[in-house]
Amino acid sequence: MRIIKLNKQIKKRFIFLLIIFVCFSSSIFLISYSLKDQIAYFVEPTDLKKMNELENKYLRVGGLVKENSLKFIDGSWVFEVIDQNKNSINVVFSKTLPNLVEEKKGIIVEGKLVNNTFIAEIVLAKHDENYMPQSAINKLKEEGKWRGD
Amino acid sequence: MFAITPNALSTFMNSISKYIVILSFLLIGIAAFLIIFIENDYYQGISFKIMFIHVPAAWLSLAIFLAMGISSIIGLIFKSPTAFTIARSLSPIGLIMSIIVLVTGSIWGNLTWGAYWVWDARLTSMLILAFIYLGHILLLYSFEHFQKADFAASILAIIGMVNLPIVKFSVDWWTTLHQGSSVLKIGGPSMTNDYLITLLVSFLGIFMLTMYWFSNIFYIIIEKRKIERSKLLND
Repeated sequence: MRIIKLNKQIKKRFIFLLIIFVCFSSSIFLISYSLKDQIAYFVEPTDLKKMNELENKYLRVGGLVKENSLKFIDGSWVFEVIDQNKNSINVVFSKTLPNLVEEKKGIIVEGKLVNNTFIAEIVLAKHDENYMPQSAINKLKEEGKWRGD
Repeated sequence: MFAITPNALSTFMNSISKYIVILSFLLIGIAAFLIIFIENDYYQGISFKIMFIHVPAAWLSLAIFLAMGISSIIGLIFKSPTAFTIARSLSPIGLIMSIIVLVTGSIWGNLTWGAYWVWDARLTSMLILAFIYLGHILLLYSFEHFQKADFAASILAIIGMVNLPIVKFSVDWWTTLHQGSSVLKIGGPSMTNDYLITLLVSFLGIFMLTMYWFSNIFYIIIEKRKIERSKLLND
């Protein structure tokens, strides 16, 4: 069998490209690693407990709307945003909610924390990666495997 | 593989392109039928059907960039004109695909999230991908000699490949408004089989259409060069 010998020129070009690629990708990696808190779109209620000087700081907080917490009181929506670690914050929102905001569904609130109450200025519904027709859910409910609402 | 001349590849693709376009129309027809008659999502309602265009376009915009980057590497290392011409004819398709992703995504976003656009990691990196495609096309047409243009544009394509894992894994690495992957993820797809089949048929149809489009662009580039060469010889 003949061993394929790489041409010297080809080897040179390969190393040239490799250096370009490694330099560029490592710089992108370092940038995104050092800015990872800024790149993150939202924080969870658990992260809020670790943070200092929360008062009057503009934040985005994400999580699920807590069960039986969504209420309409004095012209504004009041609800609790809860995360997987069962930490939650109280949110007040005085505008119209997006259509798909429901209890036990994902939500992102944008605003300020004042006296342990989150005054939201923007509310976004966060959809998860599950897609299902109603018939499949009915089937799951019959089998007792449905974990959602 | 690097011995194939652009002319031979162009002739070959031109000979099979009519079968590809028939197949793609057939698949897109089946996909359209499935999309119309499939049951709505229990939570989003009818707006989730945008997914059947959005997701194939997103996969293709990433896959086309990967193909472009690999053929740029082959082109630069082995000085292969075929690989350069493949990269050159892929970038307009990729640009259109990424624009489709951004437009359908923002329509869906307004219906679901309540906002057309947010600056989260997935959306921003996808916008950057579209801009890299645009930059690649502009670089290709900003040189007098196409060999020089190919060299400069391939460097951009290779550097731009850094963005591909960022687009794909942005939803896992950082918190984003965009939901995680539904199909290509650990633990299997998180949608029912009828949705999955519709998605795959739609993807195959759009993929075949892009192949047809690619073979046409490739053919046009080769024919243009032939005309230019004969003009030079006649002068």
